[in-house]
Amino acid sequence: MSDIRAYEGLAGLRTDEARPAAARAAGAAAGPLTLRGLLRRAWFIRLLAVGLLVFIWQWVTWTNTRVPGIDEIVRFMITEMTGGSHGGQLTGEFWEPLSLSLQRYGIGLAIGVPVGAVVGLIMGASRWARGLFNDTVLVLLALPAVVWAFLAALWFGLSAWGPILAVVLTAVPFMAINLSAGVRDIDQGLVQMSRSFGVPLGRRLYHLLLGGTLPSGFTGLRLAFMTGWNSLLIVEWFGATSGVGWRARFWYDALRYPGFVAWIFLFVLLITVVDRVLLNPLERRAFEWNQRPTLTFEEEL
Amino acid sequence: MATVLIENLTKVYPPTSNNPTQVQALGGVNMSVTGNVFVAIVGPSGSGKTTLLNIVAGVERPTSGAARALQEGVPAQIGYVFQEPRLLPWRTVVDNMLYVQDRKSDRSRREAEFYLQMVGLSEVADLYPAQLSAGMQQRVGIARAFLVNPDVLLLDEPFSHLDALTGRSLRDYLQRIWLQTRKTALFVTHDVTEAVELADRIVMLRPGGVAYDDMPVDLPRPRRPGDPAVREMQDEVLRRFDAMGAAVRFGAAEAAR
Repeated sequence: MSDIRAYEGLAGLRTDEARPAAARAAGAAAGPLTLRGLLRRAWFIRLLAVGLLVFIWQWVTWTNTRVPGIDEIVRFMITEMTGGSHGGQLTGEFWEPLSLSLQRYGIGLAIGVPVGAVVGLIMGASRWARGLFNDTVLVLLALPAVVWAFLAALWFGLSAWGPILAVVLTAVPFMAINLSAGVRDIDQGLVQMSRSFGVPLGRRLYHLLLGGTLPSGFTGLRLAFMTGWNSLLIVEWFGATSGVGWRARFWYDALRYPGFVAWIFLFVLLITVVDRVLLNPLERRAFEWNQRPTLTFEEEL
Repeated sequence: MATVLIENLTKVYPPTSNNPTQVQALGGVNMSVTGNVFVAIVGPSGSGKTTLLNIVAGVERPTSGAARALQEGVPAQIGYVFQEPRLLPWRTVVDNMLYVQDRKSDRSRREAEFYLQMVGLSEVADLYPAQLSAGMQQRVGIARAFLVNPDVLLLDEPFSHLDALTGRSLRDYLQRIWLQTRKTALFVTHDVTEAVELADRIVMLRPGGVAYDDMPVDLPRPRRPGDPAVREMQDEVLRRFDAMGAAVRFGAAEAAR
């Protein structure tokens, strides 16, 4: 896209719209380093928000002894990560619960996302299939994760299958409902165009169906990632003997609030990293064609 | 040699929740087009022009009758230029062209670039449709239709959504490419000037989708809207349309009695 300026003289070309959002953002950010300039920069505002949150947290810890201070939380997590002593016979555990949770999360998504995608595509393409699956998908969407926790504990005992099942059952309806809507929203004009030119089915599926359902597919994927992770925590909390959720509950039951909060922080941090490192770049790449993305943070300012 | 055969073609749309009465789009059209001719189908809104092309293209089914586009007895390759460009927004211009192309090779890309060059868009091959103006997108639509080396070219009011200047420029492009390729073309429009400028023959449809008149346009090419002969022919078509309007009105008045 960097060579877009080469075409600026061409009649009818929407050069302004053609400029990628990133370039526009960079343009908006360029300016003298004054306080006013800083307040228009996204990174500064995000930093400010985090700083404000930390300050409020710390202020609450000074007035309320039941809320652990940030220094306590950090110290606790360091002890967990290094396997140090928490006093008595309790020692730190970090990599095992974390890797177990990530493993369950990965397996759950690897099953739930494709199954949900296939169900969604079929639902979108066939009214009959929509009638067949719609209520089931809605029930899955409506059921809170904690119900799956208890059911999974009943069915599988306190094993790894409960958390995996919860992630699967959370991912499936989000993928299905979004992709089903995506298929139905495909521009019928493009379908007609493809048929009139005799474009083969395989090419139509790849270029038209995949491209047309990409926005809704991404929405489904993001929701599946987010809510799947939440379900995992809840099911591990109530129906597992290992994992991040279990470890958070362990410290909660032991009345060690810094430990409980530290693991909850880690939980939030992980899903933020997944969103920023995996989903955001993927989405940017997939929507390179969309020259009018949702308003960027800088533009909103 | 390509042939388009339209035999007693009717299309009736059943009632819907928005429109409780059935709508007759085509009411028994008969037409035959053979060889390298450019036929304009002219008619007011509601005369079934787009429906006719869609049935020829195979994207709609007729209620009765038949429409066949044949090349040496086998189904013809269709190239369709729609009212709107109908480009895949998530594919680049050249990928949109190659999407309808059977072969995927360097040669295909070169052919796509050749047609883009013919419509004056060789520089934008790797841009996305959203980066182009409406006129440029429509030119891509025209280039795409020619890329498949169509036996029959269908054009459904391709300039109707454009401003007058852009429309005129696109007519020039279309006329130039058609003169080089000489494809059998069915061109739907409600603009008599466009029809006279581009067509060898004008078929007039009246509301309800009934063929009313069929007249040859025997004028030298290339034609310009300001040419006296073009204006004269335009007046003649309009006179016939006035007569058709009177006939339709008279018919309605008779029926009311």
